[in-house]
Amino acid sequence: MSRFFYPKLAATNLKKNAQTYLPYILTCIGTVMMYYIMVFLSENEGLGKMAGGSQVQSILSMGTYVIAIFSAIFLFYTHSFLVKRRKKEFGLFNILGMEKKHIARVLAIETLYVAGISLGAGLLGGILLSKLIFMVLLKILNFEVPLGFEVSGPALAAVLFLFAGIFLLTLLNTLRQIHLAKPVELLMGGQTGETEPKTKWLLVVMGTLSLGGGYYISLTTQSPLAALTQFFFAVLLVIVGTYCLFTAGSIAVLKLLRRNKGYYYQTRHFTAVAGMMYRMKQNAVGLANICIMATAVLVMVSTTVSLYIGMEDVLRTRYPQHIMISTPMPAQQSVEGLQTSVKEVLVKHGLEGKDRLDYRYVAFVGNQEGDRLITNLSNISDDSSSVREFYLIPLEDYNRLAKRTASLGDDEILIYSSGSKYEEDTLTVFNRTFSVKERLDSFFENSPNRVSISGSYYVVVKDMDVVKAMEEARAKENGDDPSGYRYYLGFDLEADEADISAVYQDIRTALGSDYPGSSIESPVAAKESFFAIYGGLFFLGIFLGALFIMATVLIIYYKQVSEGYDDKARFEIMQKVGMSREEVRGSIRSQVLIVFFLPLVTAGIHIAFAFPIITKLLAVLNLTNVGLFAWCTAGTILVFALFYAIVYGLTAKVYYRIVSWGTSG
Amino acid sequence: MTILEVNNLKKVYTTRFGGSPVQALANVSFSVEEGEYAAIMGESGSGKTTLLNILASLDKPTSGEVLLKGKGLSTIKEKEISAFRRENLGFVFQDFNLLDTFSLQDNIFLPLVLSGKSYEEMSRRLEPIARKLGIGDILAKYPYEVSGGQKQRCAVARALITKPQLILADEPTGSLDSQAAEGLLRLFKEINSEGQTLLMVTHSVKAASHAQRVLFIKDGEVFHQLYKAGMSDEAMYQKISDTLTTMATGGGRHE
Repeated sequence: MSRFFYPKLAATNLKKNAQTYLPYILTCIGTVMMYYIMVFLSENEGLGKMAGGSQVQSILSMGTYVIAIFSAIFLFYTHSFLVKRRKKEFGLFNILGMEKKHIARVLAIETLYVAGISLGAGLLGGILLSKLIFMVLLKILNFEVPLGFEVSGPALAAVLFLFAGIFLLTLLNTLRQIHLAKPVELLMGGQTGETEPKTKWLLVVMGTLSLGGGYYISLTTQSPLAALTQFFFAVLLVIVGTYCLFTAGSIAVLKLLRRNKGYYYQTRHFTAVAGMMYRMKQNAVGLANICIMATAVLVMVSTTVSLYIGMEDVLRTRYPQHIMISTPMPAQQSVEGLQTSVKEVLVKHGLEGKDRLDYRYVAFVGNQEGDRLITNLSNISDDSSSVREFYLIPLEDYNRLAKRTASLGDDEILIYSSGSKYEEDTLTVFNRTFSVKERLDSFFENSPNRVSISGSYYVVVKDMDVVKAMEEARAKENGDDPSGYRYYLGFDLEADEADISAVYQDIRTALGSDYPGSSIESPVAAKESFFAIYGGLFFLGIFLGALFIMATVLIIYYKQVSEGYDDKARFEIMQKVGMSREEVRGSIRSQVLIVFFLPLVTAGIHIAFAFPIITKLLAVLNLTNVGLFAWCTAGTILVFALFYAIVYGLTAKVYYRIVSWGTSG
Repeated sequence: MTILEVNNLKKVYTTRFGGSPVQALANVSFSVEEGEYAAIMGESGSGKTTLLNILASLDKPTSGEVLLKGKGLSTIKEKEISAFRRENLGFVFQDFNLLDTFSLQDNIFLPLVLSGKSYEEMSRRLEPIARKLGIGDILAKYPYEVSGGQKQRCAVARALITKPQLILADEPTGSLDSQAAEGLLRLFKEINSEGQTLLMVTHSVKAASHAQRVLFIKDGEVFHQLYKAGMSDEAMYQKISDTLTTMATGGGRHE
C-alpha cells in the first residue's frame, strides 16, 4: 500500500465530514487563541511592572486556569459528539477490511491534521491579536500603552503543552471506543437507544428542592457578609436543580401532559408532546449546559460591567470623602496638632476643606442578639449575619457637627444605623444597658465604613467618660490593653484629581511618624488599584463571556445537526401518514424553538432570582447602585438574547437544509 | 363499482445535473374495483414504488391521471391533499413507518388525531380493530419493544382505523419472517373478505398469490395480469412463477 494512502484517506475523511469538523476546528482555533492571549497577558513583564499590574495579573492567571479546564472539558465533549456521528463510517472501514489498528492510524493522522491546523492558526491569530487585546486591557485599566510587539515564549509553550495533551486525550478516548466496539455495533452506532425515557420522580423532587433552596437563599439572605458565604452554596444548588429539572422534570411534565387525554389527543399537542419528550431525552444535559453557561455569562458580564461602569460610585461609596484620616489618641501630639498639620498643608495648596467631619470615637465589633451586643471575641458566633460594627461617639462632638444642643443622660444614647436597622428600645453592651433616646436618620452618611459588609451602628453617648469606660470594659473582657479612642477627620476638596492627590501625599508626609497607627485614605489614591482590580475583572468577564458564548454556539450547532438527521426520517413518516408538509414544518419548528429558547428563558429566571443576592455581593465590593446593576443586567440579557437568536437563526438554516423539506414530495 | 382508475400514467425523472431523463412509468392503465384485493408485481426498478407514490399522492405523474372514486387526484388542491390522503387512503409500508416517539396505540391514533377526532371516538374505533388484529395487549408498548410482525399489524391497524376507501401496501411482508408474513397475508385476506379494498405492491410470489388479481409491471408498463378466480393459493403461486419466468426470459405477451 502506498505510503501516502493513510494521510490521503485522513484528509478525505476530514473534508467529507467538514460540516461537523469545521466548527470543531474553528473552536479549537478559538480556544488556542484565547488561551495564548490569556497566558501572554498574565505572564507579560511590562504589565507586571505597572502600578497595580500584579493585581491584574493574579486575576488573569485565575482566568488561564478557567480557560484551560474549560477547553479540556469542552473539546473533549464536542469531539465525542463527532465520533458518535462517524461510528457508521468506522464500521464500514472495518467491514471493508481495515483492521482496527489501521483505523487507529487514520484517526491518529486526522488528529494530527486537526491539531496542526488548530495550533498553527490559533497561535498565529493569538500572537496577532494579543497586541490588540493587550491595548484594550490597558485602556480598560487606564494604563499607559507602551509601544512594541512581542511573542511570549512561555505562553507558546503553555499552549502547546495544554493542547497537545487535550488532543492526545481525545484521540485515546476515540480509540478506546473503537477498540471496544464490534463492527456491527459501529454500523448501527447512529441509531441505538430510542427507548422511552423513564420518569425519575426522585430527581424531580431533588431538583425542585435544590432549585427552590437556591432561590430561597438568594431571596432571603439579608446581610452582604452572609451573601458572600451563601452565594457559592446557592449557585451549587441552582446548578444541581437545573440539571435535575432539565433531565427529569421536563420528562415528568410531558408525561403528565400525556396522561391528560383531552389535552394530549389534540392535533397541535399530540406530535409536540411526544416529540418534545424525545428531544428532551436526547438533549436535556446539553440544554442544561447551555442554560448554566448562559447564566454564568450573564452574571459574569453584568456584574463586571456594572462594577467597571460604576467605578466612580464604588470609589465614592468606599471613600465618602476626599481625604479621610483616622488616628489613635492619645498620641504624642494632640488633636489640635493634627488639625494644624492638615491646615498647613491645605493653606500651602490654597485649598479649603469642605463638609468637614471630625469626631472622637471608639470602634468595636460584636454579634447582635436582640438588644444585646456580644463582644467577647471567643464567643463571637459563626453566624456572620449578626456581626455589627459599633462606633461610640461623644455627644459633644455630635452636637458640634450637627449644630444641635441635644442632651443625654448617663445611660441614654442616640443611634444611627446603616446596613441593618436597629429596632430595639435599649442596647446592652458590656453589661451596661442604654436606652435609645432618639434614632438619627442623617448625619453619619459620610462616615468611613458606612457601607460595610455587616451592619454598622453609630452610637452617640453622653461624653468621653462613657466612651473611655466602654473601651476599658472591652479591653478587660478580651484581656488586652485599652487602646483609647481614635480621632477621625474627613473632608472634601474642590479641586481636580491631581491637586487632591498632592494634598493627600503632603498630609501623609506631614503625619509621618508622629502619628503611629494612623491612616489616611483618598479615593484619588485608591483609584489606580480599583481600576486594576475592577478593570481586570471586567476584562476577564468579557473574555470568559466570549469563550462561553463560543461554546454555546458550538453546542447549539451540533444539536441542530444531530436533530436534523434524526428528524429527517420522522418527518418523512409523518408525511406518509397524512400530515401535510406545512403541519410537519410548523410542528418541528415550534419544538425546535422551545428547545432552544428554554435554556435562555431559564437563565433569565435564574438571573431574576439571583438578583437580590448579587446586589448584596456587589455591596461587599462597594457597589450600591442597584439601579445601575439592574440596567447592566437587562442590557446584558438583551445583548445575549439577540446574539443567541442570531446564532439560532444561522444554525436553523443548517438544520432545515439537512431535513430538506420536499425530498419526499 | 370502480374505486381506483389509473389512465395512461407516465412518469419521467430528470436528474438534477442534466443527465439523461429516466422513464420510471411509460404508460400504465388499470383499475381496481370496490372490494377487490389486487397485487402489483415487478422486479426492482420496474416502477412499482413510483406507481405507488403517485397513487398515494406523494408524487405527481408527468402525464396521465389517477381517479379515486371518480375524483382526479391532480384536481385536489395542495392544501387539501394531506387531509384527502388521510381520509381516503390507508398505508402499510415495508419498514412499518411507525414513529418511535409514540406508543403503538398513539401511532394507530395518529391519523385520527390529525383529523381532530376525540379520544373517546378513537378508542371506540380501535377496540374492534385491535381485537381482530390481536394487538390489544401490546398497545401501550413502543415500536422498539415488539417484533416485526406485531409492528406490521399495528401499521395495518393504523391504516384501517380511518376506514379508508383503499389500503395501499408497499412490500408489506418485505421485512417479516415467513411465519409473520403468512399471518399478515391471512389478515389481509380476512380484511378483504369484510369488504376492504386492497392494493399491494410486492415482488414476493407468496404474497401476490393471496391476491385476487395480480398485475405485472415491466419497464414501466403493465405487462400482464392474472385473475385468481377459483384457484387455490398454491395453483396461483405456480401460475405467478410461470409468468415471472416468462417475463424474465423475455417472452412476449400472452393470454
